[in-house]
Amino acid sequence: MPSDRRWRSVLAGLNDYSAALVLICLLGYGALRVPNFLSEMNLSAILYQYSIIGLLALGQLLVVLTAGIDLSQGALLALTSITTALVMVKHGPVLGTLAGLTLPTCVGVMSGLLVSRLRMPSFLVTLGTMGVARGMAMQIANARPVPIHHEAFIAFGSGTFLHIPISAFVWVVACVAVHFFLTRRAFGRHVYAVGSSEESSRLSGVKVAAVKLTVYVLSAFLCAVGGVIWTSRLGSGSPVGGQNYELESIAAVVVGGASLFGGKGRVDGVFAGVLIFGVINSVLNLSGISPFWQGMIKGAVVLLAVALTQIRARAEAQATVGMADA
Amino acid sequence: MSVPVPLLELRNVSKAFSGVEVLHDVSFDLRAGEVHCVVGENGAGKSTLIKIISGAYSADSGRIAYFGRDVHHADPRWARGHGISTIYQEIDLVPALNVAENICLGNEPRTRGGNVDRAAMRRLAERLLDEIGVSLDLDASAGSLTVAHQQMVAIARTLSVNSRVLLLDEPTAVFTGTEVEALFRIVRRLKDQGLGIIYISHHLEEIFQIGDRITVMRDGRVTRTGPVQEFDRTSLVRAMVGRDIDFSRQSQAATPGEELLRVEGLTRRGVFRDISFSLRRGEVVGVAGLVGSGRTEVARAIFGVDRFDSGVLLVRGVEQRFRSPRHALSRGLGMLPENRKEEGLVQSRPVLENAAYSSVQLQSRLGFVPWARIRRTVRQVIEDVGVRCASTNLNVRSLSGGNQQKVVIVKWLAARSDILVLDEPTRGVDVGAREEIYALMRKFKADGKAILMISSDLPELLTQADRILVMAKGRIVGEMPRDEASEEAVLGLALETRREGHRAQ
Amino acid sequence: MRELALYREWRQRRTADTQRIFTTLLVMVALMALAAVLSRGVFLKPQNLLNLIFQNAILGVVSFGQLLVILSAGIDLSVGSVVGLSTVLLMIFQFLGLPAALLLTVSIPALIGAVNGYFVARRRLPAFVVTLAMMLFVYSLAQVISGGAGIYSGLNGAPLSPLLVSFNRKGVLGVPLPAIVWLVVLAGVALFVRLRLGHFLFAVGGNERAAFLSGVPVTLVRFLAYVLAAVLASIGGVLAVARVGEGHPAAGQTYLLDSIAAVTIGGASLSGGEGTIIGTLMGVLMLGTLNNIMNLLNVSPMMQPAVKGTVILVAVYLNSRRERG
Repeated sequence: MPSDRRWRSVLAGLNDYSAALVLICLLGYGALRVPNFLSEMNLSAILYQYSIIGLLALGQLLVVLTAGIDLSQGALLALTSITTALVMVKHGPVLGTLAGLTLPTCVGVMSGLLVSRLRMPSFLVTLGTMGVARGMAMQIANARPVPIHHEAFIAFGSGTFLHIPISAFVWVVACVAVHFFLTRRAFGRHVYAVGSSEESSRLSGVKVAAVKLTVYVLSAFLCAVGGVIWTSRLGSGSPVGGQNYELESIAAVVVGGASLFGGKGRVDGVFAGVLIFGVINSVLNLSGISPFWQGMIKGAVVLLAVALTQIRARAEAQATVGMADA
Repeated sequence: MSVPVPLLELRNVSKAFSGVEVLHDVSFDLRAGEVHCVVGENGAGKSTLIKIISGAYSADSGRIAYFGRDVHHADPRWARGHGISTIYQEIDLVPALNVAENICLGNEPRTRGGNVDRAAMRRLAERLLDEIGVSLDLDASAGSLTVAHQQMVAIARTLSVNSRVLLLDEPTAVFTGTEVEALFRIVRRLKDQGLGIIYISHHLEEIFQIGDRITVMRDGRVTRTGPVQEFDRTSLVRAMVGRDIDFSRQSQAATPGEELLRVEGLTRRGVFRDISFSLRRGEVVGVAGLVGSGRTEVARAIFGVDRFDSGVLLVRGVEQRFRSPRHALSRGLGMLPENRKEEGLVQSRPVLENAAYSSVQLQSRLGFVPWARIRRTVRQVIEDVGVRCASTNLNVRSLSGGNQQKVVIVKWLAARSDILVLDEPTRGVDVGAREEIYALMRKFKADGKAILMISSDLPELLTQADRILVMAKGRIVGEMPRDEASEEAVLGLALETRREGHRAQ
Repeated sequence: MRELALYREWRQRRTADTQRIFTTLLVMVALMALAAVLSRGVFLKPQNLLNLIFQNAILGVVSFGQLLVILSAGIDLSVGSVVGLSTVLLMIFQFLGLPAALLLTVSIPALIGAVNGYFVARRRLPAFVVTLAMMLFVYSLAQVISGGAGIYSGLNGAPLSPLLVSFNRKGVLGVPLPAIVWLVVLAGVALFVRLRLGHFLFAVGGNERAAFLSGVPVTLVRFLAYVLAAVLASIGGVLAVARVGEGHPAAGQTYLLDSIAAVTIGGASLSGGEGTIIGTLMGVLMLGTLNNIMNLLNVSPMMQPAVKGTVILVAVYLNSRRERG
């Protein structure tokens, strides 16, 4: 019946945009109850801090859509950082950046091959590559940061354009690109297919192994981009940073409405998810609450988001069953 | 006039699993532009036939030819690529993608830049839906469609890969009357386009409406093939059954004792309605019915796996509503699930451990388990039941199907359940083990236990059950004592006619 | 080739558990042999072996908790944070006297485990996400309590209990106390697995549906696994305080990855239902031996996580191959 269908699509739409709604509520709360929240400085700071996690979260979304997970993101960030710095010291910023983008991507290729060809569970594979990447980073840097002296490069990461941090632009461009990939390219649509029903996708001629390989490579590449920005901000290559960043990116992806079982999730949801954590962070800081409370709030938010996802999924399942009898 | 080459041809095909033969010397062919229906009771071999045709299984012997050419090693992708598509009951579309995308999955039209050509995709999807005479919202996400609409999308999808053979396995199981009509319209259009359609169903009236030829299968063999005009309902049923039943194997008549279990008016909306029967000590009550009749669901509701909405369950005169199997176990019930591999055993754990789970649960006090006693009991029962394994420490996985089934029986025997629900106790079990299981059942009866036996094996019901209940569409449509029962009577009741509107309302 | 056939036949007749233990034992012996060779025999000296156990007691205790959860087909990402929280709690509660402090140090994590258990067992949310969220939560909780830094003395400047201070130096019959604690925990876990609920862990992890239909209280079993994991992690935290004399929220960071590694290397399957206590014990010892070997080979401490990562990958790959037949 037409009215039923409309009602269902409204409900579905609400589900898809729940992260955005939450974000708006948080922004509202911040605007009303928190001093200086809406200041340009603060909003800019939120974007500044969270654009790197934002890049990671995009990569994580791609992997999660195939029902996988990428635990190596933080380590890849560090690896990028140290590679960029070391190469830059001898060969200049351009080659440095290229090296910094290439090496982690190769690690991504390795992860992708292990998952797609050897069929190993992504959790363990990326746990392993996390260790390997971190170890490599520490080793080639001798556990010490590598300072950089190229002014232009350093300015890039912290720079702003029209009062908006450059890193935020990079993030938005990346969001658009990934969104385009996921919606307009057949290969991108296949990502959803592989995450939903791998076997049936294979039977339809979808190149399952290639899809799986690609998402890990893209995730690694996005980490590398984030890593370059991060390095330029720090002004040095650091082998120790990025700890637990992958967990933040997973949190953002989950809060943004993606399902860890694959096949469900969107770029706009992840965008909102990242900003939700950014806003929470900001609200807590400006309210004078100790930064240590952040983790507790984040943990609670993730838990709530997952519980809600499950309730929604069950409601949807019941709705379709009901319809069969109608 | 020469007969055109059939799309599909099977000659003398046989297939066995772990020594149990499921198809024997089956010959079958499919012509272009025909709807060839395959009928038979549960376990007659219809699904295996489909799986062989679609490439999921390989035949042990015999010839298979697609489009006139012999084929030796089909696999599903090969078959699909060559125009053989199957629509199973569990439809797997991609919920996140919309209708058009699902239809064109894997064959998306591209623009010159390499992107998906959305307009062309929509045109293609619309054309395909048109070909089957269906109109759907192309932008609706597949996850939001009804089951019937999902199936239509799945059918349209097969057209996008130029299928020439379509296999429909019980397609209308959850459909209402209008949805069945819609499916028929689609099938007729596909026929006109020259596709060959294999249609498996136990809804006889559908077969007479849509079929051109009928093949009847029984016990893994083809008993009759012919144009639909040659059959009527009676002759069809007779072709499905009509075997010689060895009544010498019959169990003793029961002298039932006290009533152990009784259900009255048990109802679960949309699944089963108004189920009432009783079980007494020392008797075996058989439950007959076809796929979708609700037998397993009733059993599960009694055992506490699923809930029921209304009605009364009495165990030894006390009203119960089991919240979980654990609860049912504590009151003396036990259930052998239909799917013993997935639901009855933990394959990776040892035989002894599996056989002891329910005993451990029942006999532990404050967490302490009387291991010595339990081991002794279980070992004894294993021996009594005749489970054959090199060692009880071996994983269950290493046992044969029949022996695995016995392990599940041991579990409940050792737990001293006296009300046993057996769901297809001898499915997939070889003849020798089958006899042993029957002997066990006779022993249970003699020991004063009560058994509710769900079975699709008519001879089994007729020789082992004291009373037979027949279920169809979620209701009990008949009850007969053994001496009044016959295969045709039982099957005739089980093959319900579809009513317009809802199931089991 | 006849040997191969005979070996195969022998293998058929052993349970998978025994096979697994045997394979793991072989690998462990091989590793230790390597260590012995590289150290010119020093490795095998009783003092060194005792030291191996002593050094890995904390990981050992935490890994048993992780094993219980993994057996139930779950995972606990919060163990590291719980260890950290426990160190902080123990330091804070010094002033109440040791027994009370210990009680609180173990009970509060038990509550955390209960929350994990509730969401995973009762609400059936994915264990990964629940324990991930809890990890963030607990770490931050520890930071809030400790003010973000390490704690070197109890509230009101109460000094560390003398028993704790000298814990590592004391011993029974020459066996250091931490090793004794590990042994006691081992015994406890081994006993638990013979009790009803512990026994059912394997069934629940191996085939939840079949366990449920057999009358096993699946939710309770799962719930308990998470509570115990947290309790064992807190015991690990107590040992950590004894070792370094401070409480710090990040004290348990390395134990997350290492405990998963130990359990996996020891033969447990991440999909649940398979694994042994001995296997995990050997897994811990192997990690310890691996550390020794890396030191002997002068592998820089930077590379060590990389080596561990590779080892995990190899172990998992081998495990999955074996499971496939």
